[in-house]
Parts: sequence; C-alpha cells; structure tokens
Amino acid sequence: MNLVVCIKQVPAVSELPWDPQSGTLKRNLAEGMMNPACRHALEAALRLKEIHGGYITAISMGPPAAAEILHEALALGADKAVLLSDPKLAGGDTLATSYTLGRAIYKLCPDFDLVLCGCHTSDSETAQVGPQLCVELDIPGVANVEHLQVRGRTLIMRRLADNFLETLEMDLPGLVTVTTKQYLPRYASLGGLNEAFQSSEVRTLTAADLDLDGDKVGVAGSATRIRAVYAPQAAKENVVLKGAVKDIVEELFNRFGDRIAGAIGKDLNGRQ
Amino acid sequence: MNFYPCMKHTVIRKTVRAFAETELGAIAHDIDQEARFPWEVIEKMRPLHFFGLQVPKEYGGADLDSISYAITIEELSRVCAAIGLCVTVHNSVGLYPILTFGTDEQKRRFLPRLAGGEIIGGFCITEANAGSDAGGVETHAVKDGDSYIINGTKIFVTNGAICGAPLIFAVTNPKSAKRGASVFIVEKTTPGFAVGEIEDLCGMRANPVSSLFLEDCRVPEENLLGKVGDGLKIGLAALDTGRLGIAAQALGIAQAAFEAAVRYSKERQQFKQAIASFQTIQNMLADMATEIDAGRLLLYRACAMKDALSPFSAEAAMAKLYCSTLATRVSGQAVQIHGGYGYSKEYDVERYYRDAKVTEIYEGTSEVQRMVIARSVLTRPS
Amino acid sequence: MAASKDKQSQRSIWVFGDYRNYFQNRVTLQLLSRATDLAGRIGARVCATVFGHEVDEYVGEYIAHGAHTVYVVDDSRIKDYNVDTYASLMVWLIRQHNPEIVLVGATTFGREFAPKVAKLLATGLTADCVGLDIDEEGLLVQTAPAFGGNLLAEIVTPARRPQMATVRPGVYREIPHNYHATGEVLRLSLPQDLPRPRVRLVSAERQVQREQRLEEARIVVCGGRGMGSLKRFRNLAELARLMGGEVGATRPVVYANWAGQDALVGQAGRHIKPQVLLAFGISGAIQHTAAITGADFIIAVNKNPGATMMKLADVAVVADANQTCLALIKELKKHLRG
Repeated sequence: MNLVVCIKQVPAVSELPWDPQSGTLKRNLAEGMMNPACRHALEAALRLKEIHGGYITAISMGPPAAAEILHEALALGADKAVLLSDPKLAGGDTLATSYTLGRAIYKLCPDFDLVLCGCHTSDSETAQVGPQLCVELDIPGVANVEHLQVRGRTLIMRRLADNFLETLEMDLPGLVTVTTKQYLPRYASLGGLNEAFQSSEVRTLTAADLDLDGDKVGVAGSATRIRAVYAPQAAKENVVLKGAVKDIVEELFNRFGDRIAGAIGKDLNGRQ
Repeated sequence: MNFYPCMKHTVIRKTVRAFAETELGAIAHDIDQEARFPWEVIEKMRPLHFFGLQVPKEYGGADLDSISYAITIEELSRVCAAIGLCVTVHNSVGLYPILTFGTDEQKRRFLPRLAGGEIIGGFCITEANAGSDAGGVETHAVKDGDSYIINGTKIFVTNGAICGAPLIFAVTNPKSAKRGASVFIVEKTTPGFAVGEIEDLCGMRANPVSSLFLEDCRVPEENLLGKVGDGLKIGLAALDTGRLGIAAQALGIAQAAFEAAVRYSKERQQFKQAIASFQTIQNMLADMATEIDAGRLLLYRACAMKDALSPFSAEAAMAKLYCSTLATRVSGQAVQIHGGYGYSKEYDVERYYRDAKVTEIYEGTSEVQRMVIARSVLTRPS
Repeated sequence: MAASKDKQSQRSIWVFGDYRNYFQNRVTLQLLSRATDLAGRIGARVCATVFGHEVDEYVGEYIAHGAHTVYVVDDSRIKDYNVDTYASLMVWLIRQHNPEIVLVGATTFGREFAPKVAKLLATGLTADCVGLDIDEEGLLVQTAPAFGGNLLAEIVTPARRPQMATVRPGVYREIPHNYHATGEVLRLSLPQDLPRPRVRLVSAERQVQREQRLEEARIVVCGGRGMGSLKRFRNLAELARLMGGEVGATRPVVYANWAGQDALVGQAGRHIKPQVLLAFGISGAIQHTAAITGADFIIAVNKNPGATMMKLADVAVVADANQTCLALIKELKKHLRG
C-alpha cells in the first residue's frame, strides 16, 4: 500500500511555557514533540504496512526544527520524509494548510492509497485539517477512526461517533483521521534513530518547489484571523480547608453539601 | 567548537525522556521502596537497544556515539537512577571490554545476547579487601588443562543478582603486580557460581547489588578476555568508559533534583509568597543550574574525545569527579529547599539524595579520580 | 414571490440541525438561542436546517426554540447521518441563500461536517468555540480554546462568507420551549445532482460505554499518584459508587496499573465535564488539567497546598488523599443512610 501520513510538531504540553500576564506563548522555549494523535496515525500506517506491505511517506509542515519528528518517523519505519518549510507557509489556517498538504501529496505521491492524519492536534485543536484535506484531494474520508482494516480496495473502519459505534467502508484512495484510543504507538529504537540521522534524509520543500498559489497559502490564503490570544481568567474563589481530616470532611458537607447532593441527585440530610 | 546539541542528540534525548517518564516515572518511587528490579520494563527496553548502546549493528546494537550514550544514561537516571545504573554498568564495564578486547569468537558468542538484553552484564573487581586498590584482589584463577578454575568472592556487584555473564577480575600470577590479573567471562550457569544476598543499600535500591561466589568454577580458556595478565589494562580501560556513564548518571540525578527544586520553590508559599521569590533560594537555584551546566560540558567533552579516539582518562575522571560531587550537592540543596517535605519519602528529592551519594564512591571514588587527574597533570610536559 | 425575495436580501444566521442524540445533546437548541441573541444585534433572521427522513418533530422543536425559518430536506435516501451527503446539501443551500453566519454544534459529526462545508465554500471556520459575539463592525468574534484550554484565541473571518463556527455543547442555555412560536418551513426536495456518498455506513449501534459514562458522569472521583498504592486507590471506587459517580485516573496511575486505560482522564484519554470533580492526590500536570476544564465544581485533596490542581480547585483540601477519601466514605454512609 502507498501510505501517506501527515504529522505535526507541537509544543510539548507538559511544559508549556506561556506568560500568564500577556497570555503569549513563548514558543521558542517550548520543546517540540510529535503531536500525540499524529503518532497514533503513524502507528496505524506502520501496522498496515506490516500486514499488507507498502511504502510510507511522512509529510510535515513547519519550521526547520520540525525535521525532528520526521527523523523520528523514519526511525519508526517510514520510508520517506518530507518537510514543507517556507516562511510563506507560516500562519496559515486550516483552509490554507489543507491546500498546501493536498498539493504536496499530489506532487510527491500522486498514486497514494490512503492518507492518515491525527484526529486533532494538541496545540490548535481544530481537528479540521483532515476533513478539509479530503475535500482538497477530492477523496472519501472518515474522521476519528479507531480501527482500520483493508480488504482489497476497500477500507473498513470502526469509530465511536456521538454515542454510535459505527462501522463504515469506503473505496481507496481515501483519508482517515486516527484517534488516540487504539494503535498504541511504539517507541523508536535508539539504533533506528541513529540510522535515521546517518543514512536517511528528510527532504525539505518550499512553496516554490510545490508550485503553490501564493494567494492560497500562509496568512494570505487564510480565511480566519486571530485577533487576540489570552489565558482564561482563573477567577475561581478558592476555599482552602486544612486541619484534622474529620473536621475537614464535616466542613465540606456543611458548606458544600448542596452542591454535592445536587450532583448525586439525592438528599444528603439522612443523618437527621 | 560547537556548543549546540545537534538534532540527533536532541531527538535521542526526547525519545529516552519520553520512554523513561512513561515507563519508569510511575514506578521509580515504588521499586526503590520495595527494592524490586522491574523486569517488565527491561522487557520493553530490550528491542529499543538500551542494552547495546554502542554495540555495532552487526551484533544487534544501536552503534551510538558516546554523547548519545551519555544522554541516554542521563535521561534514564533523571527518572530512575537504579535503572540508569543497570544500563550503564551493563554497557560500559560489562560489555565494552568484550567489544574492545574480545576475540571474534567471543564477540559472536556474547555480544548479540548482551546487546539484545537477553543477558545482563556486570563487572567484578571489588572484594572484601580490594576496592580502590585492585592489587588486593584475592579471587584467583588457576589453569587446569584447557580451563581455568576460579575461586573467590566478589562483593557489591552492580546487577549482581541479575547478570548473566559478568566479567570476573581474578589473579592469575600472584607474583606480578602489573600483569598478575586477568579477566574472565563467567556465565552464571557455570557450576560453582552463586549469587549472594542482595545488599540493603542506602540508594539505587531497585538495582540488585549483591555478592557473587565462585567456588571451583571451571571456565573454559575461550572465556579469557584478552591475554593472560591483561587484567589491569582491561580494567582501566573499562573504568574510563564506565566513568563517563557514572558521570552521566550523576548528572541525570542532579537534573531531576534541580527540576524538583525549581517546581517546588515556585509552588511553596511562605510569608505569603512563593519561596522562589527569596534571594536565598534564588542563589541556591542559580548555583545548582551553573554546576549542572558545567558538569554537562565536562562530560560531553570527555565523550567527544573518546569518539575522536584521543586519550580521555583524565577528562573522564574530571567529569566523573565533578558530576558526582555536584549531584550530591545539588540533591542535598534540593532537599534543603523542600524543607521537611524533602526529608519525607513522599517526595522524590529524598530518593535523589540517597541515590546521588554512591556516584562519589563507585567506579572509582572521588579520591581515586583525583589520583588519576593528578597523575595526568603531573606527567604533562611543562 | 416578492416577500421571499425580500427575505433573501435580509441577513441570516443559520444553525445546522444536529438531532441524532436529541435528548442528551441539545447543542442545536443552545445555538438557536445564541443565534437569536446575535441576530438581534445585526438585524438578521435565525434559520435552521433539518436533513433526514421523517424529521418533522425536530422542525417543530427548532421553531419553538427560536428559528424563524427551517429548511427541511426530508427523504428516505438521506435517513442515515452521512457527512458528505449532508455537507453537499448544506453547501447547496448556503450558495442559494448566502447566510452571514453558520453555526454547527461541536459534536463528533459536526466537527467533521463543518470543515468540509467550509472547505467547499472556501471560507473560514473556527473549531469548538466556547464564546460567540458580534463586534462593533458586525463581525462574528469566535472564542476558541487552544493548548487544552490553557489559552483562548479570538478569531474572526473578516472577508469571506459565511462566517462559520462549531460550538461546544453546554456553552449556551437554550430558550425555553415556546408553543406559540411560529416560523416558516421551507421543504425542499433532494437535488437530483447530489453526489453519491462515497463512505458507506455498514452499521451503527447506539453505545452506552464506560467511556461515555466517564465523559457524561455528573460526579467523577479522580485519583493521582498521591493515593500511594493500588490498595488505597481502590478506595476511590467505593467513594464513587456511593456517590453514583465514576472513577478517573491520571497518567502515572494508569501506567502503574492501578486503573485501566479507559479511566485515563487527560489529553490522550477522556475529557470530562462533571458537576462535581473530586481530585485526590493529583498534582495537576497540564495534560491532565486540560481534560477537566468542563468540570463545574472541583474539590482537590492534596498534602501539598502548592500543587497546580489545588489552585484550579474551588475547594482545596490540604490533607492526606487516602485518609480524606476514607473519611468521606464514612461520612457519606451516615448521610445516605436515611
């Protein structure tokens, strides 16, 4: 199978350094990592390759440092890695991003069978690029897939959507976005990483290399504008209880018993 | 001169960090308390080449450079020093001598199994009457036909209870001071080989450090590493490499303690403000950060020299001396910043503090490192 | 005809009728309510769409909850929810009527459907909004979370139309059902040239799974490494049982096998929105706290008063997590006995 996996580098959220006053993100301080859902998508591709054989192309769009996750993808078993990196591409919304990725896929692997994306990213969390990429490529696609199975030219997918456990199928070529529920990702081996840096190559392509329409990429190609970014007000009144556990629990019931009872849906005055 | 880590080193650090935090983070505290060796994690580490860090690919290793090696040990130790210890001892003193001094046949026999983590390595010099002074070793090997008969007791063997084929340092010619000892690869299945009780140690408790008893162990000649009398040479070469690993381990512990101290001092409120706003605490944190950074540069330089095939004994000793000393100091400061909580088993800094101390002792005490450094300084042409 | 033309020239705000889980998920009604507010500010009508088969009950509901006009496509051929078919229908309708704003509930369906509609129309879309407003220029200001709710972004679509947003369920309150409300119902037949769906639904089973229970639970008792051991962690299950809630766990706990993967509350696990969240021995790493932003009332128990989780809590209990859990169990049993 000819598989394409779109992966994104996101700031490692566990150590997100942002300024609570200005609400701005000190991105240069944030360590990058492969977006978790993208990692699951890559894992799904690796398993398909293990079963059906094939070739995996990993594509990412981002600054030069995003090559890190592409090397990682190579170490994990991707066959080719391509970074779309160009200042002209920066700041694009999902409309521009899906256009860029779509054009890159057509240019690099026009004969693809399946495109896999993560269901959403941990930074901007739109979950929109996958579905929009389907439209860009004019192929069928399904979001939030938990399990994949290939039978001939048909892809059978399982997912949980709004309380429904759905089984869906589509003819290839197609696109799926993969959730983080299944396909527990493997770790890259140290030898694999070493080799990915020594003997494999991450190809970097610019907007010009891809013959992209300048009006459709980056900020120029985006329909939306970010007007402000800020940290939500943590304006919670914070009650601190300390002392003996027994007293704390009593006070908890005296002061907040109504709230708890409301959630339980029972009257809590049984003691009287 | 380039002080920026290359992308490969960055990615290796992130990968090992993610592995360590995910697989060891939740259990590091418990396995220390229970003094339990986590085989279930070792299982996951095997296919990822943690046991063949610098072993060539043909023997199933990762073929890493020495800085990558140091980073790997550092990141494992940052989360769980006892496992960092297991991995570094296995790779450096347990495996490296076979890689360097072994015959092709010995490499074929042992390296794939060691690199795949199927058997875990160890290295035994220390005895009741021999530590810093290798001349005091009493374990001896006597030639008998095409075998050697080994007798003796080794103590404080890191990986002792779990090692499959430790290297045993034994006297083959009591009359020679310099060429009197040899090194043997002894498989644990050898009749007469027995593991003693697991030591109840202050730190590194998840590593089953134990004694090893060798009673009339018949070891085939093919298991002699190098030539007869090469013991000291092999031992010193192994220790040079081992020291890089211990320095990396100490650095990892220090890094963890430092991060905990920073986190805590931002959270902990006294006099209605975070203690991080006090200059006293800030001074401590500044010193900790500076020392860790200096230690890291010393270590990576020694690693780079090793990879450049330059002599690096003195530089390895400096890195080991400095990193182990700073680990003890930094983890002590971290406990101090935590106050009473830091002295409690509930906080990890207490473990870091206990784990750090031994880095000043094993693989050559700080005093021995100074000896090595001084010897190098004094013999330099002036 | 003149009247209808007049209406066409009037601006409109559309709400996509997502009725699949009508009783549990009332996001469409919530959006009709918000659309009504916003429409008043820009002089627009509120319109809803209903696609499906035998869907008249929803048409009435939407009018009763504020829709002035409902576009209905009722046909047995589109009885199954299908993203592509519904997206084609939506695009077809939007191109005819040019609404100013299109709102879609951020259900799993909506978040796949809306991006396709927006892409086909080459317009902007903001995901999973937690706030919608109109600025002085009459633009729709869409507030969307990023970085697991640690940041909020205000996003506008300045030039292209419609302005589109998916909106998180529960953000807005629905208008009470008005039996006297009247509205215009426009029934349209399925266009002949509608593309055939390329994704086929093989089966769909309604699920009430553990993950749903955790995500829908009104009370969640969540435990972190501070619980100390598996044995102690199990006490949380007893507390949850007494309260009729569910047990959640942090990542270290799941890795230590004190709880299963399906109990993981975090970015890689479940996002919860209980009325009351009890957090025991949780430090508050961002990957965890990002998944609890929907909790109404948080009681955190931790020995360390400086833990991040304690700052996020409404009530921060400085005490041993396990002992507090045991005391709560004891106290609850007393209260519940009567």
